[in-house]
Amino acid sequence: MKKFLFFNVLVTAGLFFSGIALAQDWTSLKEASRNIRSVKANFIQRRFLQILTKPLLSEGKLFFYAPDSVRWEYLNPLRSVMLQKGSTIQVYNFSEGKWKPEITQAVEARRMVFAEISQWFQGRFDESKAFKHGYSPGPPARVTMLAGEGINRFIQRIEIVLSARPGVIDRVEIEEPGGSRTLIEFRNVEINSGFSSEVFEKL
Amino acid sequence: MIRRKNLDICFLGLFILSIGCAPISRKTLGPGSPEDLPGCYALFPAESWESVHRIEATIRGGSSSLLGVTKGDPSERRFESLLLTPEGFILFDAELREDRIVVRRAVAPFDSPAFAGGLMEDVTLLFLPPQVKPTTWGKETDGKMICNWEGPDDSDTEITGSMESGWRISRRDKKGRVIKEVFLNGPFVNGLASHVELRASRPASYRLRMTLVQPSP
Repeated sequence: MKKFLFFNVLVTAGLFFSGIALAQDWTSLKEASRNIRSVKANFIQRRFLQILTKPLLSEGKLFFYAPDSVRWEYLNPLRSVMLQKGSTIQVYNFSEGKWKPEITQAVEARRMVFAEISQWFQGRFDESKAFKHGYSPGPPARVTMLAGEGINRFIQRIEIVLSARPGVIDRVEIEEPGGSRTLIEFRNVEINSGFSSEVFEKL
Repeated sequence: MIRRKNLDICFLGLFILSIGCAPISRKTLGPGSPEDLPGCYALFPAESWESVHRIEATIRGGSSSLLGVTKGDPSERRFESLLLTPEGFILFDAELREDRIVVRRAVAPFDSPAFAGGLMEDVTLLFLPPQVKPTTWGKETDGKMICNWEGPDDSDTEITGSMESGWRISRRDKKGRVIKEVFLNGPFVNGLASHVELRASRPASYRLRMTLVQPSP
């Protein structure tokens, strides 16, 4: 479950804050989040590990449609995709020329996690039991999330840096115990642009 | 006619299976010449290494894609090994030092001692040569090495190949059955094979296909 909580924290944080860059206070931030219908973006992920001299670089793309459709896809170095549409969640890996379902689908675990973070999609971010939030107006505006008891064994802190461009997130940084961290930079972010709902079902 | 064809396929299947169960014949060698001996260690990293592999694991008909990160020092026979999900979450983090495994982090279903032992054994097989001198070794006319190490429990490890043709590592149990087989193919980057396939048959059956995505800096 924690694996997917980590993943969903990452996705949700990015999505939630992508529409609130110009908001001035916390109440406005929550209000602005309600205007987000869809997000489409590319991302570059740098995974800093204590044992590696160079960060591990991954690339991918993201689609989101409110309230609960997500496609989070890695293109390199592993080709992998997580699809969520409503309560249906599926994970596939591209191997030997075709998509194969991941052994550890852990759908129940994912559903539980999404139930928690669905509060964030609705602007009820401060109701999260897993993280305590803080907001700094910047510039650049930043939201800091501190992990509560239990989850802090895996994630200590998440920082979201917002772009000056309204509705765009610059990057998300996730810190773990032991000094490892993950940096995700979003590129070519499109807010409320049109795309087919098939992206949440088709591989 | 159709029935006959089905029977043929059935016998063919049994034949293939029977080959898979039979001990593979081996060449009988004696101790080779001292100048050939370094060839038995050519496929293993000679210096400290870092590597990131894309791993496609197949077990019981299912598949899983992971990232494997390994950093080691052959002079001290120690290494650290991590398994990560595509999104970068650490599923398993352990160290082998002085033949002792220290698991720093393990998430279910990767949290059993048996998994830790098996994974560290696989990494050892791939990156570290046996600790003792081979019992027999030799170089064929085409330049390929054949080296054999006898284990303390009547198991043995055989390495055949060259940097040009690729390598095969076979580990047999005391009954002579191949329990693990590794194929390492080039190009070799900083001494690390770009493509590795590990097939395990005992005690668990699984296959790992590994592609080097980030070699030593």
